[in-house]
Amino acid sequence: MGDILGEPGSTVLLLGNEAIARGALEAGVGFASAYPGTPSTEIIETLARVARRVGLYVEWSTNEKVALEAAYGATLARVRALAAMKHVGLNVAADALISIAYTGVRAGLLVVSAQDPGMWSSQNEQDNRYYGLLAYVPVFEPYSPQEAKDMTIYALEFSEKYQHPVLMTPTTRVSHTRGPVRLGIIKEPIVQGDFERDIEGLTLVPAHARKLRRALVEKWACMREALSDAPFNKIEGHGDTLVIASGISYSYVKEAIATLKAEAKILKLGTPVPLPREITLEALEDVDRVLVVEELEPVVEMQVKSLVVEEGLDVEVHGKDYVGYIGEMTIDRALRAVARILGKGFIEVPSGKSNPTGITLPPRPPALCPGCPHRATYYALRKAVNSLRIKPVYSGDIGCYSLGLLPPFRQQDLLIEMGGSIGVANGLGRVLKDQVVIAVIGDSTFFHAGMPGLANAVYNRTPMLVLVLDNRVTAMTGEQPNPGSGYNALWEPAPMIKIENVAKGLGVEKIVVFDPYNLKEATDKLKEALEYVVKARKPAVAVARRACALIISRMARTKNVGNPLYTVLTDKCTACGVCYNAFTCPAIGVREDGKAYIIEDLCTGCGVCADVCPFNAIVKSREGDEGWEQLWF
Amino acid sequence: MGATMVLEAREKKLSGTKRLNIIITGVGGQGIITLATLIARAALLSGTKALVAETHGLSQRGGSVEVHVRLGAVEAPLIPRGEADVLLGLELIETTRRLDYVKTNGVILTSDVIMKPALPGVKLPGRDELIEELQSANRILVVVVPATSMASEVGGLLFVNTMMLGALAASGLLEGLVDPGKLERLVRGLRRGEENYRAYRLGFEYYSGLHRLPKT
Repeated sequence: MGDILGEPGSTVLLLGNEAIARGALEAGVGFASAYPGTPSTEIIETLARVARRVGLYVEWSTNEKVALEAAYGATLARVRALAAMKHVGLNVAADALISIAYTGVRAGLLVVSAQDPGMWSSQNEQDNRYYGLLAYVPVFEPYSPQEAKDMTIYALEFSEKYQHPVLMTPTTRVSHTRGPVRLGIIKEPIVQGDFERDIEGLTLVPAHARKLRRALVEKWACMREALSDAPFNKIEGHGDTLVIASGISYSYVKEAIATLKAEAKILKLGTPVPLPREITLEALEDVDRVLVVEELEPVVEMQVKSLVVEEGLDVEVHGKDYVGYIGEMTIDRALRAVARILGKGFIEVPSGKSNPTGITLPPRPPALCPGCPHRATYYALRKAVNSLRIKPVYSGDIGCYSLGLLPPFRQQDLLIEMGGSIGVANGLGRVLKDQVVIAVIGDSTFFHAGMPGLANAVYNRTPMLVLVLDNRVTAMTGEQPNPGSGYNALWEPAPMIKIENVAKGLGVEKIVVFDPYNLKEATDKLKEALEYVVKARKPAVAVARRACALIISRMARTKNVGNPLYTVLTDKCTACGVCYNAFTCPAIGVREDGKAYIIEDLCTGCGVCADVCPFNAIVKSREGDEGWEQLWF
Repeated sequence: MGATMVLEAREKKLSGTKRLNIIITGVGGQGIITLATLIARAALLSGTKALVAETHGLSQRGGSVEVHVRLGAVEAPLIPRGEADVLLGLELIETTRRLDYVKTNGVILTSDVIMKPALPGVKLPGRDELIEELQSANRILVVVVPATSMASEVGGLLFVNTMMLGALAASGLLEGLVDPGKLERLVRGLRRGEENYRAYRLGFEYYSGLHRLPKT
């Protein structure tokens, strides 16, 4: 962790996202904002850790749109700024991005939107380089942690020079790859400035926007020309075959060509949008065939094809037809495509044999952690729904609690995007005959995009239960604080916005708040709220409040505070399996005879299993140390 | 510890190899990223290029995790299937799941820890059944470290990652790429460093002991 502030000239091991953070420090960024999202989170997390020492301002914003607008605001007073988000986060911020390109900026503004080919932790596989074409915003695509750092500095300077926002799109294997990074000098950030008025340049009413649109198109041509000289674009090797590799695909192409012991010309691209014309034309000289290797969509391929037509060149261009659209780039994919374009035929990719004896391995999807309050809430919700004989439709959302879609819970019937649980419930709640819609949403997601949906439900009197799982942090991305936590990005005390107060302010008439670790209270309160929805035909809000067990366990370990422990009384246990089949806490193991036991290394001492057990066979075996209760915020 | 097996302890000198591909696998929460970072940092301190490809976020929570560590002359972060020199497993089911990563003359180093997935009605394969599967894969060397019992000597399953790191260090596979002294210093610098170092030593000595066994 100390590496991020390492000495200039030293080479340290950094995660791609840490390298971007270091680049921001070396570029003198004074304002950094983000909404967390895999694989982008560590950029702002890293900056937040060093913010006090370096002197820049860092915040977790309520959503990506606010993060980008805030960063833009800072640049209007000539403070260099960075806004980070995952790929789908840019959908939320797209409204701002496209208009910011019209007004331009007054200091460097870098938007980092990390892409997730392969959907390791995302709902879709969109390619945000299209946003560059859509918004007239140059796109930088690094291939390694080192390049990600260098590019961050270059992109911010480029942005400042052209007074234009720029976008960087690292993919998962850049953002989440650790590699050697040579450090430069950290620049003291400028964190304050003055705003100078320019009403014609900054207010996008039609009369102004028309003028700015013309300027934008001209600026685009200038930037396109300048990008040919960017140090991240270069031509290597020789041959009548050209392989154009964008971003991380360059590393795979290099290995593929080395493996094949072949000769080919490579155009390494670090700026896929707009396609730098001069260097691409230079690379196309004396070439018969072109293969474009890029992750996700054919963004470079389409531009190359367009250039080939414009210039009337006689070359054959391949790309997605050889490489494929789906999933992340691999050496195998690059190898097959390069072999094919070089006429080396089909390459047998060596692969080890799996499953020689035909053994069946149990699947291991990600699961709610031991002590996770969401598990208790889902358990109580099921009990409440069953006892009222309600036919529920669970409108799901994005967060750890999405895992409630798995057995035994199966309490997420749909799930599209951030805040969608309440939005979709506005439609379902209106048209369902005898089913009841229950929107399940986390605290951070509620602040991100849930509030407009709830206002809509109150305003239009749409019956639904909005269940907010308030675990005090944005847990799935690594427990970042949010407006409900009482802490800011630097973990300093901050105003705490209570979800029940928001609901009350929006006019919700039925609000219940409970602690999910208290199963009986949780079940009763949920029943009360559900009965209200059914009878009053209006929205109700239930807040399940209990901090993420992961963050509390971590704090406990750091402070050396022991948690309580539970144990199974073997003589009382009837091997009914309720605790490990219907509650499925990972800290509950199964003995050969079907009886349960507590895996003490995993148990966080929440004690909910003791309430779940119908035979009172699970009891507390150790009290928590002094200070345990005080850890829960 | 009698159940441990060295199947085909044909000594293969990998030292001096310009490149080493390691797949580390296990269950989210076992300290897999910590383990990978230790290897990579020690490599870098030893003057060897290192790349670590990780998975974070939703893919992490108690789920099946694989991390790719590449040392030496490498460009791309991901190891192709069938190209791993070493499969380093912290959990036996997960090791078995990733068998197809190991190249024909590759090495499998795994703990015997078995963790139940948090799903209802899961039928777990037995330890011996899983080990038999690893043997049948016909790789050059399969070493199963009895970490379940050894962990109790050092303070619990939390230390299986550094224990397996010790076994990897003892295997000689890192020779010429990672300076063992630098690796040990990093282990001691971890939180609860001395306990981690003890776990590391236990893994190291366990593996070293194997090579004194008569070869089959």
